[in-house]
Amino acid sequence: MDLIDRYLNAVAAQLPQDERADIIAELRDLILSRFEAKEEELGRALTEDEQEAILREIGHPLVVAARYRKGPDSLVGPALFPYWLFGVKAGLLVLGAVYAITLFIRLIGGADDAGQAIGNAFHGFFSSGLTLIGVATVAAAVFEHQGIRPAWMTNWRVKDLGAFGLADPAAWGASMTGTETARATWMPKPRARAWPGGEYLFSFLAVGMFVLWWVGVLHFPGLVSLELRGEDAVVSGAPIWSILFGPILLYAFAQMAIDLASLFRPYAVRARAAAQIVVAGAGLWLTWAIFEAGHWFTLTRGEETARIAGDWTMLDFDTLRNLGDGARDLVGIASTLSVVLVWALAISALSLAFKILANLGRLARG
Amino acid sequence: MSLDPDLYESMRLELRRGSLVLAVLACLRTERYGYTLRQALAADGLEMEESTLYPLLRRLESQGLLNSEWREEEKRKKRFYVLSPGGVAMLAALTDEWRGINASLDKIL
Repeated sequence: MDLIDRYLNAVAAQLPQDERADIIAELRDLILSRFEAKEEELGRALTEDEQEAILREIGHPLVVAARYRKGPDSLVGPALFPYWLFGVKAGLLVLGAVYAITLFIRLIGGADDAGQAIGNAFHGFFSSGLTLIGVATVAAAVFEHQGIRPAWMTNWRVKDLGAFGLADPAAWGASMTGTETARATWMPKPRARAWPGGEYLFSFLAVGMFVLWWVGVLHFPGLVSLELRGEDAVVSGAPIWSILFGPILLYAFAQMAIDLASLFRPYAVRARAAAQIVVAGAGLWLTWAIFEAGHWFTLTRGEETARIAGDWTMLDFDTLRNLGDGARDLVGIASTLSVVLVWALAISALSLAFKILANLGRLARG
Repeated sequence: MSLDPDLYESMRLELRRGSLVLAVLACLRTERYGYTLRQALAADGLEMEESTLYPLLRRLESQGLLNSEWREEEKRKKRFYVLSPGGVAMLAALTDEWRGINASLDKIL
């Protein structure tokens, strides 16, 4: 096989089957024409090095073949890139918050080696962050390749752009502590509706991350282990999570479906409110089922085990006030986490109930 | 202030990019195959890489602006391109547009 055949084979392998023969025949003619012109100029046959130099001038087979592609030239094109960037930043923000909270719990839970806990948090954040960027890039590539442009990308209104201001960290907290100028700039204006897409995009990404983790695609290193006085304590789920695996997954999918539908039709208020009521009702039932199970996790360190479990009696403020006063052993940590979880479930139930009421109001107002 | 050569090169290529299609269409009022077309463009001062020119020819053909046919010449089969009737109309319209832009730029410059 000579130089030209080897070069053309490399190009041909990258080309679509139906156009391959035609393109290769044309390229062969081009290469032979270039060789002949050079031979005429030199008055002799070309050496292999000279032939190779001409092939290099024509271009690397991957580059030459890529020029014949009919689809987009990049994974995320210039039109999609700003949305991709915003989505990635939002997702990283959510991830950062998740890891910061987890790290906080581990530190107050008495992790002996704070340095290692911080290291694990950073490692988890970076690996999850890279996964997030990968998923966002694949999603953008699909949009790019299929030429999909959702309505919220093309049919936006200036008065709905308020949420994008929050991409500037200088805006965070301005509503609480900022100067008058900052507040005037960043506080939501009473009559202006924030861009609804931002909220749904955040929610979609956050629930999407949860689903990936829930089904085992995404791993958050360090989430299932605690450092306790120099020894690793493993967190294992109680049977209730296996029982509710399917319903929780369905609940998350339903929430993502609502977010996605809202991204495409942000002003379908009544339909969204009705769907949110149903999903929040399901969430309330799930919260109740988890609460009723009474046992949520088990901490294991060597031979020792302690249950993270609770009931209604923990829902009093004295218990909350004494949080963290318990022993720093396995049982003490389990007890602290039990109180945290009971209150978290109660707050979750309350917020779901409010969500139902708010959406009932929206449904009534239309 | 000295000229940044990289920036100049990138802006020069950007400036040329849009005009190459017009040049290719104009050159193909006469039937040519890829190699001679490239030579003709180069002779008029418009060097074009083969890896840009050949895919461009296929794209213009798929857009209905060029016709092509395989024919034997100099003992080899070559693909000859020429403007289609749609290509002739497009070339006329783009030439008017080009002259308009040129006139406007001349006034500004």
